[in-house]
Order: sequence, then C-alpha cells, then structure tokens
Amino acid sequence: MVQTSETVPGSLRVSGLCKSYGGRPALEDVSFSIHPGEVLGLIGPNGAGKTTLFECLGGVMPADAGVLLRDGHVMGARERQALLFYMPDAIAPWPAQSLGWALDFTLRFFAGRAELRDEVVRSLALGPLLSAPIGTLSKGERKRALLAIGLLTPQPILLVDEPFDGLDLRQSRELAATLRSHAVRGRTLVLSIHQIAEAARLCDRFVLLNSGRVCAEGTLADLEAQAAAPHAAGDLEEVFLALT
Amino acid sequence: MPSPRSSFAALLDKEWRELVSSRAWWTMLLLTGPLVGVCFIRAVETYAELSGLGGSAAGVGEAFSPLVGIWAPTFSAYELVAAFLLPFVVIRVVGGDRQSGALKLEQQQGALSPWARITAKTAVLVAGWLIASLPAAAAMALWLSYGGHVHGPEIAAVALGHVLNAGLTIALAAAMASVAEHPATAAISTLAFTVGTWVLSFAAAVHGGLWERLAGYTPPVMVATFQHGLVRGDIVLAAATLTAAGLAAAAVWMRTGVAVRQRALESLAVVGAASVVLFASSLVRASWDLSRSRYNSFTRADEDALRGIRSPLRLEVHLAPQDPRRYDLERHALSKLRRTLPRLRIEYVSATQVGLFEQTSRDYGEIFYDLGGRRAASRATSAEGVLETIYELAGVTPPAASDEDVYRGEPLASPPNGAALVFYAAWPALASGAAYLSLRRQT
Repeated sequence: MVQTSETVPGSLRVSGLCKSYGGRPALEDVSFSIHPGEVLGLIGPNGAGKTTLFECLGGVMPADAGVLLRDGHVMGARERQALLFYMPDAIAPWPAQSLGWALDFTLRFFAGRAELRDEVVRSLALGPLLSAPIGTLSKGERKRALLAIGLLTPQPILLVDEPFDGLDLRQSRELAATLRSHAVRGRTLVLSIHQIAEAARLCDRFVLLNSGRVCAEGTLADLEAQAAAPHAAGDLEEVFLALT
Repeated sequence: MPSPRSSFAALLDKEWRELVSSRAWWTMLLLTGPLVGVCFIRAVETYAELSGLGGSAAGVGEAFSPLVGIWAPTFSAYELVAAFLLPFVVIRVVGGDRQSGALKLEQQQGALSPWARITAKTAVLVAGWLIASLPAAAAMALWLSYGGHVHGPEIAAVALGHVLNAGLTIALAAAMASVAEHPATAAISTLAFTVGTWVLSFAAAVHGGLWERLAGYTPPVMVATFQHGLVRGDIVLAAATLTAAGLAAAAVWMRTGVAVRQRALESLAVVGAASVVLFASSLVRASWDLSRSRYNSFTRADEDALRGIRSPLRLEVHLAPQDPRRYDLERHALSKLRRTLPRLRIEYVSATQVGLFEQTSRDYGEIFYDLGGRRAASRATSAEGVLETIYELAGVTPPAASDEDVYRGEPLASPPNGAALVFYAAWPALASGAAYLSLRRQT
C-alpha cells in the first residue's frame, strides 16, 4: 500500500531567478511560491521561458541570478537535489535499453519508489512496452515512459516539462487523473503546460509566465480577480489573455 | 537519499549495457582482430625468414628477440585502434548521455559525484579495451603453439604501455565529449589532438631540444619505450597524471548546472595541478628493463663498473637532430647511460637541423666528455666506444666480457600456421555474432 503521509515540510519560494542567452534575457526576476502537496501549473506560450526555468530549478543549467528558498533560507545544491526532480521534455534517455530496465534503473540509481512501480506501469498503460527499447518508442509512448520514470523518483517535488505534449485526448485525461492521484498522496507537482485547458482541469494554482516574466500567480479565483475582466470569469484562457 | 554504493553499482551496470549496445564498440572489436592479425602474421613471417626459413642464411636471426621481432609490431595494431577507433567508443559512452538527455536525469542524483560517474564510465571503457585485447592473447597462444617463447615481464611492459596509451585516449576523448556540445565536435577535437602529438614528434625529430623532451611524453614515443621492454617511472607517472587530469576535466564539464566560468576556472586549476605533478614526474629517474635481451641496458658487469663512478659526468654532443649518428648514440649508449649514471648531464650542440653543412665545422661530430674535471673527446657513437672513453677517464679497468651476459636470441623458423584463420575468419565471426545478438533487441 502506498504511503499517504508524504508532504513537503515547508513552502518553497523561487526568488529573483534570471537567465539570459548571449545577452538576450530568457528569465527576468522570476519569483513565485510552491506549496506542499499542490499541483502548480506553469502556464505560458511557447518561448515564455518555462523550460529554461525548469532547467535552472532542476540544476541542469546555471542561472545567472536567483535563489531557491525553503522556509526563508537559501537551499544548497545537495538540498535541492534531495527535494526536486526535473523531468525534461523531448529526451530519450538510454535509448538502447528497454523501458522495463529504465524503470528498474530509476529505482536502483535514485533509490526510487519501488512500491509504486506496478501501479505506475498500469496507470500509464506501459505494460506492453516494458521490453521495448526506449529509442524505438513513439512520441506519446516516450512521454508516458518519461512520466513513469519521474513518478518513480524519490524527491517530494516533481517538475515535469510539458506532460501532455504528444498525448491524445484520452491519454491526456488519464494522465491528469494519474497525476492527481499522486498529488492527493502528497507529491508536489509543478507542471509546465502550454495547453491551458489541460492546466485548468488539473492544477490547484497557476504561475503565468510570458516573455521570461511572471505575470501573475495564484488560484483561478485569484487570477480572475487580478485580471478584472468580467468576460474571463472561470475561463483560464481568457484570464491568461487578459493578464499577458 | 540513495546509498552511494548501490547507486554506483546501478551506474556500472548501466554503463556496461551502454557499451555493449554501442555499435562503435562492436566495430572496434570487429576490426581489432584483423588489424592485430595483419601485424602478427607479417611479423612472424619476417621473423621466420630471418631465422632461416625459406633458404635464408641460418644464424641471421640468432640475436633476434621476440619482443622486438614479434610483440612490438603485433601490439602496434593497438596504437591504430587507440588513435582511430577507441575515441569514438569513448565519445559514444560519455557524450551519448548528453545527446539522449540521460545526463540531465543522472546528474540530479545527489549521492554520486561527477567523479564517481566518470569513474564508472572509465572502468567500463577499460574493461571494453581489455576485451579488445583478446586478439593479442590469441597471438601469444599461436606463438607458443609454433614453439616460440613468451617472456612474461616483457609482455607485461608492452601491455602496460598500451593500457596507459588507452587510458590517455579515454581521458582525452572523455574530456572532449564533456566539453563539446556535439559528438562530432568531440571526435574532431580528439583527432586534432592526436595529430598534434604527431606534429610534436616531427618537430622533435627536426629541432631536438625542448621539443624532444616534450615529445618524450606523447603516446607514440611512450608506447615505443614500453615496446622495447622498458618501464620508465617518469613516463608511467606522466601518463597517469595526464589521464587523471583529462578525467577530472571531464568530470568538471559534466556538471551542466554549474556556470561555464566556474567550470573554466576549475579546469585551469586541474591544468595547474597536473603541470606541477608532471614537472615532478619528469625528475623521476627510476626505470626497469624488463626485456629478456636487456635491450635497454648495458651488461651487468658494465652497469656495476659504471655505478662505481661517483664523479658527475657531462657530455657535450656536437651532432644535429637529424644526423643518424645522433640516433645511434642516443639509442645504443646514452639512453642506457641515463639509467645507470644518476649524475649525468647531456647537452646537444648544433647550428643546423640536418648537420650536412656543419661537417666542416671543427667540433662537429665530436663528443666532449667531462668527468669530474677530467676531459676527453671522441667521435665514437657505439656503446663500446662511449664506455671505453668513460672507463679511461674514470681510471676504471673495463670489465671482462662474459658470455653469460650475451643474449643469444630466440630464432624460430616457423610460418604463421592457422593465424589467418583465427584473425581473419574466427575472430570476425565471433565478434559479428556477439554484436548481432547484443544489438538485435534494439531494433
């Protein structure tokens, strides 16, 4: 039986994150909070800086400035690695190895959540693909494989870049239910999503990112209030357009 | 937090799987057999001819040693493999993680340092190299089956040279694969470095002096030293230092989450530390002649006599770098003298590189000796001539020649029976079959 008591001990705050590529700013003074056990949606159009933000938070790309605060104190690299895991989009790790091996490797290498293996395989419909090399999977299959790897990692906070990219409508809905079930059990999920409708269905709170800047942060109700647009009530897409 | 030990075991397993699923490694394995075969078969044929097979004058090969006649040319195949095939295997194993995105996942595992990750890759690559050394083992088995003799220590010296050479290649290619964004860039950079060492060797042959000293630590010269059965402490230390430095640089640049400036500074620190150790290594004089023929040593009696000379010896050699007499002098006398006399200083003097138009110069061709203030000059470039002059200066009676010290050689007039079958058919079939079985599941 899966433990249900997992929670992040304290809130996290990303503060003043900046990153530029050859003088062109990709992130400018990005700050927002991550609450324990929530599903936080990072919403923004293509080129908004979502992936760059995740890469910096995941520690796979250096930020020019900014810190990650936990209960007010600055986190070091080791502490961050113990707390966050970032699953990039559009990668095909260990392409010659089978998916089943990759999941087992994740459990052994990261000391992952072995008790979740069968459930994750079942919920993401990966059973028939376990013996297939990762390099031979289709885009949607690979996306589900990457999500499975991410869900098996031990860190309490999981950052996933574009979890719905490459999935059809049915798969997207099933994935949303799977992610929600993990969040219910205390896993904090930060999802970068450009399909706003999907984000509206799944996320508890949102961070709106546009041109490398945070435009707004909060629940849908908070964002509606900030947008102050009567026609946007209950519609995240309209709220997003009004705020960006 | 995962345990470092279990994570490292998982990583080793992963690196091994990545190696055996790489076409580059199987290609290297496949080609190594025929390459070693060509060198071995040609060497055995030549050795047999010199030993009297096919009507040659018997006795020509009497002082012929298998080390120089068989193993040096056979193992030289591995120089080609290390220069042109191994880098691609290394780049596949090290750079493949970056290309596939696996590096982004793996470096989020906080329990293992980048050092541990590069160590796992190196361990697997060395294992892969040792498997690629099986054709050399087959060559030894064949040689024994022909009635030849294998002298363990000299084979160990040759093998050590090739393992160190492979270590250097692995470190260099790993560093390039870590620094470069793309495998093609890493490959061209590694090959450029290899070509650069050849240019250095060429410059050393032409200019001598500092170039010659620097070239002494390049892979071709290093391997040649070991192929003659000589294990030099300074070369072993230098190769180990360069290998460690290359792997450290690879570990530094694997951390894509660290600012480029920080990584560059750390790389400079690695270069600085390696330079200090390299300088210290160059002062090490210890060496071991493991050849059965004592190819790199004077006779034991001469060594004992030379060790009794306490005064410092200074030699001023007036020979141009490309003068063949200089090569003879260096190879047959001075290299042996350096190993025996700790207080020896040798200076080469020449105004040109070829020496052709220096012949009219009064001192050209002379070797000036200064042993504790006593001076002599000689034009002899043979070991006997050099030793005679030194004994005269030292007032030492030359030791009596002893038959026991003379290497009689191990002639063997046997053709390379069955070698073609082993290297051109059995090995490729074995490697191809194993590659097919290993790679089949990926498609």
